[in-house]
Amino acid sequence: MRLIDVFPFVPLVFGLATLLVPRGSGWVRLLPLVGSLVTLLIGVDLAVSYFAYGGSPQTWSIHPWISVPWTAAYSVRVDGISIWFVLLTAFVAVPALWAAWTYPDEARLRSFMFLLLAFETTLLGLFTAADLLVFYVYWDLMLIPVFLLLAGYTGTAEARRAAWAYLIYNGAGGLVLLLGVVGLVVATHTFELVGPKIVVLPALQWWLFGAFAIAFLVKTPAFPFHAWMPPTYTQSPPPLIAMISGVQSKAGLYGFIVFALPLFPDAARAWAPLMLVIALVSILYGAFAALAQTDMKTLVAYSSLSHLGLVLLALFAFDVTSLPASVLMIVSHGLISAALFIMLGFIEERVGTRDIFAFGGLAAKAPRLQSLMLIAAMAALGLPGLSGFAGEFLILVGAWQTQPVITAISLLAIVIASVYVLRLYQAAIHGGYRAPAGASVVELRPREMLVVAPLLAAIIFLGVWPAVVSSNIRMPMTPTSYQSSSMQVPG
Amino acid sequence: MTQIAIPAIDFGVVAPLAVLVAAGLLIMLVDLLSRRASRPMLYGIGIAGCVVSFATLAPQFGHPATTFNGAFATDRFSWAFDAIILIALAASLLLSLVRDADDGASPAAYSSLLVFCAAGGMIMAAATNLIVIFLGIEQLSLALYILAGTGLGRPASQEAALKYVLLGSLASGFLIYGSALLYGASGSVALADIAHAAASPSPLFATGFMLFIVGVAFKLALAPFHVWTPDVYEGSPIAVTAFMAVAVKAATFSVLARFVYVVFGHEYSAALAPLWAIAILSMIVGNVGAIAQTNLKRLLAYSSIAQAGYIVLALAGVTGAGLATMIFYLAAYAFMNLGAFAVIALVGDGAESAADIESYRGMFWRRPWVAACMTVFMFSLAGIPATAGFVGKVFLLGQAIWAGGWGVAMAVVLVLGTLISFYVYFKVVWAMFAPIDDAAPSPQGNSFVPWIAVVAGVAGVIVMGILPQIVYSLVAI
Repeated sequence: MRLIDVFPFVPLVFGLATLLVPRGSGWVRLLPLVGSLVTLLIGVDLAVSYFAYGGSPQTWSIHPWISVPWTAAYSVRVDGISIWFVLLTAFVAVPALWAAWTYPDEARLRSFMFLLLAFETTLLGLFTAADLLVFYVYWDLMLIPVFLLLAGYTGTAEARRAAWAYLIYNGAGGLVLLLGVVGLVVATHTFELVGPKIVVLPALQWWLFGAFAIAFLVKTPAFPFHAWMPPTYTQSPPPLIAMISGVQSKAGLYGFIVFALPLFPDAARAWAPLMLVIALVSILYGAFAALAQTDMKTLVAYSSLSHLGLVLLALFAFDVTSLPASVLMIVSHGLISAALFIMLGFIEERVGTRDIFAFGGLAAKAPRLQSLMLIAAMAALGLPGLSGFAGEFLILVGAWQTQPVITAISLLAIVIASVYVLRLYQAAIHGGYRAPAGASVVELRPREMLVVAPLLAAIIFLGVWPAVVSSNIRMPMTPTSYQSSSMQVPG
Repeated sequence: MTQIAIPAIDFGVVAPLAVLVAAGLLIMLVDLLSRRASRPMLYGIGIAGCVVSFATLAPQFGHPATTFNGAFATDRFSWAFDAIILIALAASLLLSLVRDADDGASPAAYSSLLVFCAAGGMIMAAATNLIVIFLGIEQLSLALYILAGTGLGRPASQEAALKYVLLGSLASGFLIYGSALLYGASGSVALADIAHAAASPSPLFATGFMLFIVGVAFKLALAPFHVWTPDVYEGSPIAVTAFMAVAVKAATFSVLARFVYVVFGHEYSAALAPLWAIAILSMIVGNVGAIAQTNLKRLLAYSSIAQAGYIVLALAGVTGAGLATMIFYLAAYAFMNLGAFAVIALVGDGAESAADIESYRGMFWRRPWVAACMTVFMFSLAGIPATAGFVGKVFLLGQAIWAGGWGVAMAVVLVLGTLISFYVYFKVVWAMFAPIDDAAPSPQGNSFVPWIAVVAGVAGVIVMGILPQIVYSLVAI
């Protein structure tokens, strides 16, 4: 039993402990935060061991689990891809759980915290799983905390509808994935598919890739599987949406990088044209839709659709630069969207509305809020010097090499991004102060500043020095196996 | 002049069955002779019968044997089904201890009938010829018709019994007529001999087979022969419903599986197509029908229709692994259903009306442990990972996809049905999770007995979900 074996369960254990704390005790707030910090520390420790020693027993562990009718193992690891997702999860969870301190219903705060921590466990489990069955288990389990947090903790009819939409869409995606997973295992007789290269017949690959891709596109989401996203992003409490948009939306892209692309190279090439179209439509549709929103959370939701479409473009351009840049962009988008959604939560709490035309000029009352919002907004529109820029730039440079037309059209979305982000920022922060009656706009409290500070610091840090991430990415596949016309399989 | 030869009977082989029958008779005897025979005492005899029966069953593991001239076979297959039936019997006797407020039936009659019913199921699990199959099914069914009506104070229970006996008799008619035609086509009642006729099926054989399948599908509540199920499940006392859902289904699946495997000799046959069609229909009808239900017993009735459809997938490849898969899923099904019914009994505490989903609203804030256990059962029924239901579904999908053709179609429908069922089961969880104004703990029921079944159910569901190898290697045939 090694640390990596139990690492995903650390948040869950803290969550269970939180349930046992007497109601109203200060520990109800403190314990989850401590839990997320401990998780982050262990995550950093795993990263250090991985980059110091490579794939060592400290970062890879296998226990036989099932032997008939197929083999599966409890196999967990961090590697040059998954470690970034693990770090992102553990890092975003800290401000999320801290932001959860202000959840108003004291009576149900404990279970609220528990579900958030359980959600973190499923995400960590997903990103450390090296066995397809283990991966699928977490993929499906993710539904439960999100559904319950959405359905049970805001109490509005819209939130309940959002919860059902989330459940049905993601449940459907998960079940399609299950068909693919079982189809694959019937052919290979094992779920242990990371590491040993398994060659799947091209005809079967085509079907399996399709099943995997649908599930991953729903989770991201990408057009046309995004219908669940705006209601979910708009109705979630801020800590939850920070986790969903910051981390969970990367699960599908992670699935492409770690499972679908390396396992089904022939099918990936065959499906690439369709995937590129989906990416392009997501990029443009998300950007234009964001332009039309007046609800600030929905606006950021659509901008996510656009930005993650860009990651999809990076993956299916099969370029040596764009492939690793996709991971940089993923990490950066996770930080930015988590910071944005937490701050939008602060604003909504103050003005009591999400309609950007119902209030304005918050800078007059809350200059600190203005400064912090400025950093996040600039990062979102890809200003050089902040983390958003490096990823986008490298993706565009790389994708240009193999897909010049699609990349050129995508550039349009970068321009529009400036428009909708500045529109949001201007309407909310600048101009004369106005707010709905009864709103009490106060300056950011020190605790609130500390909540978003680490996210913003990381955004600036990665903007200045993106190589910390980008030069430490080990993709499980090389572009050559996808570009060549031969039917060669890597490995 | 012919002599009637009495076949040699190996009492060691029939011991588990004999013990159960003896326990049933003992209950009646005790009730007759003792004035102070209380309900717990009579039910206790039944539970003791279960334990002793299992003690005689356990050594049979891995020692296949036949008796009654080969008409009664105990092997690993029947062993597993016997174990499931005994678990179901013990659980429903436990649940029966929570007295139904309207139950005016004699405890002795009630409990002995339940025990005889289980004995019928054990006969079915071991039956290798048509006559013994029919004998088992009728022993099980006749006792069950009466049991369905033991909620003497409730018209719904009487209605359930009447519907069950009328439609059940019709199904028995199909079954016996089909058996007669099969006998006509093959010249024998032994399944092994019928297999010869299946090699080159005559119209007579095909008709007999279809009628036989109709009879079996009725007992399994497979669509389109399911219409009795919701009313009967809802009307019957909760303990009887639990037994009906688990033991009857297990016993009848044992008949279906043995028939398919012996007669069609471990290979795929086009003659089985109607069975696959019935399974597909059941998965759709069961899950869609469950959507609108507001009563948990009805919801679980529709759920059981869908689950029966899922289980048929195990037969798709007609492989040994398929049998193991079927038994695995039935064991999972037993734990999650018995558990769910036990929760209903616990919450209702004798009042049948408490099966409304509405009375579970906010349960998480009133009785968190009850709600947590119910959530585990609902998630298992929905096939959420880390539960037995999930592993069972993965195995079923594997069998079906491996078989190809109809199997792949069934796998797709299973996935579709599961998606629909997400709404059904999450609706229950959501109701329990809904915010309520008055979060004060509601009064605890005065009965702890169902907790035994609830905790056993949770343990079974979780253990089979996380360490499936334990059970799977036991049932791998």
